Amino acid sequence: MGLPNASGDLSTEVEVDAFRRLFPLRFYEKHLSESIRPDARPLGRARDTTIALGAVASANGSALAKIGSTTMLAAIKMEVMTPSTETPDEGCVAIDFHMPPICSPIVRPGRPAEAAPVVSKQLSDTILSSGMISLKELCLVSGKAAWMAYLDIYCLDADGALFDTALLSAVAAFSHLEIPVVSLNDDGKIVLLSEEQEGMSEREPVNREKRKLTLCSIPFSLTCILHKNYILADPTAEEESIMETLVTIVLDSSSQLVSLYKPGGPVLAYTSAIQDCIAITRQRVKELQKILEEAISVMEVD
Amino acid sequence: MAAKPGSAPTTYSPSLTQKTRPPIFKGNDLDWVRPDGRGFHQCRPAFFRTGAVNSASGSAYAEFGNTKVIVSVFGPRESKKAMMYSDIGRLNCNVSYTTFATPVRGQGSDHKEFSSMLHKALEGAIMLETFPKTTVDVFALVLESGGSDLPVVISCASLALADAGIMMYDLVAAVSVSCLGKNLVIDPILEEESYQDGSLMLTCMPSRYEVTQLIFTGEWSTPDINEAMQLCLDACGKLGKVMRSCLKEATSASQE
Repeated sequence: MGLPNASGDLSTEVEVDAFRRLFPLRFYEKHLSESIRPDARPLGRARDTTIALGAVASANGSALAKIGSTTMLAAIKMEVMTPSTETPDEGCVAIDFHMPPICSPIVRPGRPAEAAPVVSKQLSDTILSSGMISLKELCLVSGKAAWMAYLDIYCLDADGALFDTALLSAVAAFSHLEIPVVSLNDDGKIVLLSEEQEGMSEREPVNREKRKLTLCSIPFSLTCILHKNYILADPTAEEESIMETLVTIVLDSSSQLVSLYKPGGPVLAYTSAIQDCIAITRQRVKELQKILEEAISVMEVD
Repeated sequence: MAAKPGSAPTTYSPSLTQKTRPPIFKGNDLDWVRPDGRGFHQCRPAFFRTGAVNSASGSAYAEFGNTKVIVSVFGPRESKKAMMYSDIGRLNCNVSYTTFATPVRGQGSDHKEFSSMLHKALEGAIMLETFPKTTVDVFALVLESGGSDLPVVISCASLALADAGIMMYDLVAAVSVSCLGKNLVIDPILEEESYQDGSLMLTCMPSRYEVTQLIFTGEWSTPDINEAMQLCLDACGKLGKVMRSCLKEATSASQE
């Protein structure tokens, strides 16, 4: 809000603000009829996206992803478990999504946000069913020890499109993940091989060098809002609260459909609307792939 | 699904346990150097940034070495309906850790008392009568714990309150000192904290030279107490200047 001046600019700003609060739907429809949104984006464009790898030094893999103002921090910590008898050479991935009270005024310390377990389950299903990670790569000693990767995603700022940003940060964290070098000691426990011990240890390291997971068919997603016959890509929190019909489409790097999620909403999705959403998502996937590759190459230069 | 529903397999971290490592200094050795090379009376370089979270009324991010904290302030907003009428404002604080903040996953739940300690540190500095009937919520999230967590949370919280425009008598700066044998080290890291014989955390308002909170633990002799308090007050004065310059930069950047 600027200082009041003689030409009465403040009062027009106050009027626009009041109109936006009192009649949000009409405010948005006035913009949509001109094919633009209040933040000057065309309907099919997503907000600026950035990825920073290695945000958390104490974790084995981490990433900070931002789409517009929505910020997510993902970190992976590796622990050792005994694999089950049915799958003796497979590890495990545990995915958890948290919305701490800092991220949004609607979250309170005692009461978790409604969106948190929904996004958590969606993420878990998408990542495990997309086939991005082969659990056999997480095996250490067949039948005795395998890696359990705990992926924790924290929402630091909630401004719409939570699932998209969370998936992007999870994928970036997995591409940054480095599995530490460990060896089996006499008690049958796995211990970290620190650098001083490497020359002195009589035990063979179980895995030779710190290695990365091979990721195939990486999933990327885009959430769209359907309102009358408009399709808005990458909604902000304000848009999500006014126009409630969301469609989330997850495609993998070869443009195959991984998941389609439309949780109810007043607008029905006809085939043509879904096909338009998929087309917008395809372009977005190419953008996201480029952003992720740039972030990885920046890390490797360092 | 890779994990069987209903069963959580027990896991352990492969990193070395603390007990097998020798302490970082032996006995009364006065020559030992701190693990990160600092002098005994040298604090870590402080980095502050306000406006980290857009959804909040005010927010701040602080980074002291490996300790990284985000604090969001919401309010003044309506108190819960169950609360009685109060003609001064209320302050509600909460401090939580991420699961990856500590070297071993999940140890952050050991610090449940930090929420009420943060409340005690801030309530002396805030002008509660300027927002009657409403509540100001201060929520802190420790992203990475590298030692001296609570002092960093307190300093960051007072910056976030300033960013939100809540009226205060002064900024609140906090510093902690650890007693390791005969040595006093300021702003200890996690390793030094685990071997300490005693610790002091002092929270003060630098410009007013008033202490809002003082917490001693462990064994202290009287001359050590006086020396430690003076160290803390000097360090808080310098920290207060850093915080003030951060706020000035933020406002001058937004005016451009």
